Amino acid sequence: MSGPIDDGRLDELVDLIVRLASGDLKARLEPSRASDSIDAVITGINLLADELDTIYQTLEQRVLERTIALSEARVELERMALSDALTGLANRTLLGDRIRQATARADRGALPPCVLMLDLDEFKTINDSLGHSAGDQILVEVARRLRSVVRQTDTVARLGGDEFAIVMPDATEDDALRVAERALKELQAPVWVGDRPVWAGASIGLCFGRGSQDGEDLLRDADTAMYAAKKLGRGNIQIFRAEMHLAALRRLQVASELVTAMAENQLELQYQPIIDLRAGIVIGAEALVRWTHPERGELLPEDFIPIAEDSGHMIELGHWVINEAVRALKDWSEQLPPTFRVHINLSPVEMRWAGAADYVRQTLEKYDVPPVRLAVEISETATMTGDVAILENLLALSKLSVGVGIDGFGTGYSAISYLRRLPIDTVKLDRSIIADIAVDSQQSIFVTALLHLIESVQLRAIAEGIETAEQLDCLRDLGCDYGQGYYYSRPVGADEMRKMLSTAPMDRSD
Amino acid sequence: MSRCQVSGEPARVEHEDVWIENGIVLLRWPVGVVITGVTARRAFDEVNRVSADRPRPMLVDMANTKSVAREARTVFGEPSAASRIALLGRSPVDRVIANFTLGVSRVPCPTKFFTNRDQAMAFLREGLDERSD
Repeated sequence: MSGPIDDGRLDELVDLIVRLASGDLKARLEPSRASDSIDAVITGINLLADELDTIYQTLEQRVLERTIALSEARVELERMALSDALTGLANRTLLGDRIRQATARADRGALPPCVLMLDLDEFKTINDSLGHSAGDQILVEVARRLRSVVRQTDTVARLGGDEFAIVMPDATEDDALRVAERALKELQAPVWVGDRPVWAGASIGLCFGRGSQDGEDLLRDADTAMYAAKKLGRGNIQIFRAEMHLAALRRLQVASELVTAMAENQLELQYQPIIDLRAGIVIGAEALVRWTHPERGELLPEDFIPIAEDSGHMIELGHWVINEAVRALKDWSEQLPPTFRVHINLSPVEMRWAGAADYVRQTLEKYDVPPVRLAVEISETATMTGDVAILENLLALSKLSVGVGIDGFGTGYSAISYLRRLPIDTVKLDRSIIADIAVDSQQSIFVTALLHLIESVQLRAIAEGIETAEQLDCLRDLGCDYGQGYYYSRPVGADEMRKMLSTAPMDRSD
Repeated sequence: MSRCQVSGEPARVEHEDVWIENGIVLLRWPVGVVITGVTARRAFDEVNRVSADRPRPMLVDMANTKSVAREARTVFGEPSAASRIALLGRSPVDRVIANFTLGVSRVPCPTKFFTNRDQAMAFLREGLDERSD
């Protein structure tokens, strides 16, 4: 094709290029029927415009997709940063944020927020005995149940472990108590782990916001109230009171003083003789720890053992007791009657510690004391948890020839099945069931039944808390062979115990 | 010879023809055809069918094609029974369309544009000779 062309197509072509250049990528020009070079250029530009348009659309689509993906990732990151990965509940950060929002609302005239702190009872035991996977299942289920009992405006959070919190904005005491009670009720139903029902009861502490109190303070006080609820037993609800905070501070102080007490010999082991009730001779002694506090005088185990357990000092305290008792046995070795042994109490915290039996063995070896001279006692309720770690320690101690006894029998389940299953040799009847034995015939029948139960599995029964001659007579008549109590002797120091071992039998039957 | 109806298109571009002659597949697009993704796919399937799935050289008569859609060029990039393709056109527009297709799409076999039928056939026969060697 040659020669000048003046059919207007060149002008149209210029217009097409201008439109395309201005961003109108849909612009096209129809080639003529001439199919000449100008049409070839038009066709080429149309095709290039097609390409350009497609590339632009693809790019725009990709940018859009990436923007959406980035936005979703940002939302997911925010969610992860503010939620608990296991349960999907809010985490501590988000909870703090919600408390701040609720407090700000209260500043504008709404009611102050209430924070509920909830801690599962015996969760550690569940985790230890059924495994962490089962523990996780339970936490997820607890989270679901807690979500089902709150109002739409409330936030449920998991703070870690088995600790949950709920923040209720604009809440009355009735609102908060209603939610707390519904939570406890929901948790009463068992959680099924496979075909095994597990009960995950809880204790709840409540704290209402006051004035300028910040979120951390609210959580701390709700935690203090929860702690108070736990102390009252399972499934309790407590509302924070100022004195609880003082008590918590006192507990902290006691925990730190206990470390000093161990280092500075403020602790002492006292020994209460265990008597053969027929022969009247001392066949053993229960070692009981006492703390002579420089300011508050003598403290009983119940004043500081629970604090030691909660503050992580129990293992250290337990070691001190084991060491002292074995050292005393070594000191008394020349006066000891042939079958005499010292009974020490081990808390569930110590018994769950994997090295417990080993520590006892090492201490006996250190002082060259035969294992048969020592017996450990563990509470009936601790053995009932079925904790594998506890059972392993009991078996190891028994294999070592250290005596193993159940303490406080008659107050818990008192089941024969576990008496047969556990590697134990003695059972201590709790003082509470001995108290009225001489005046209450029903109680006497109950004790008779317990003694038969113990005898049937060929274990030795020791009655605790014998305070009167009548109680002693009764126990003898019922066939109880061993006992201890103020009637014979209060707990005494190591020196006095040594003297007692050197003197005549303690027959006070006359 | 196979004839395919192209519904909805102008009467003068209503079908493409596909047949075999002396071992060469011939595809003739109607004059003024707008090759869309659908028509390209249909022709592609027809070429495969008449080739009985044997590789064969192919002459595509695309003289006076009006345009080729992007989707159609994608179809031309797929492997087919054609072992060698000669695109036969006449006008500068055919040349632009053919070369655009060759340049933008990745063709799966040797493909060239011709305005001379004899040269196109010679190119295709080269393929036949190579195969008979």
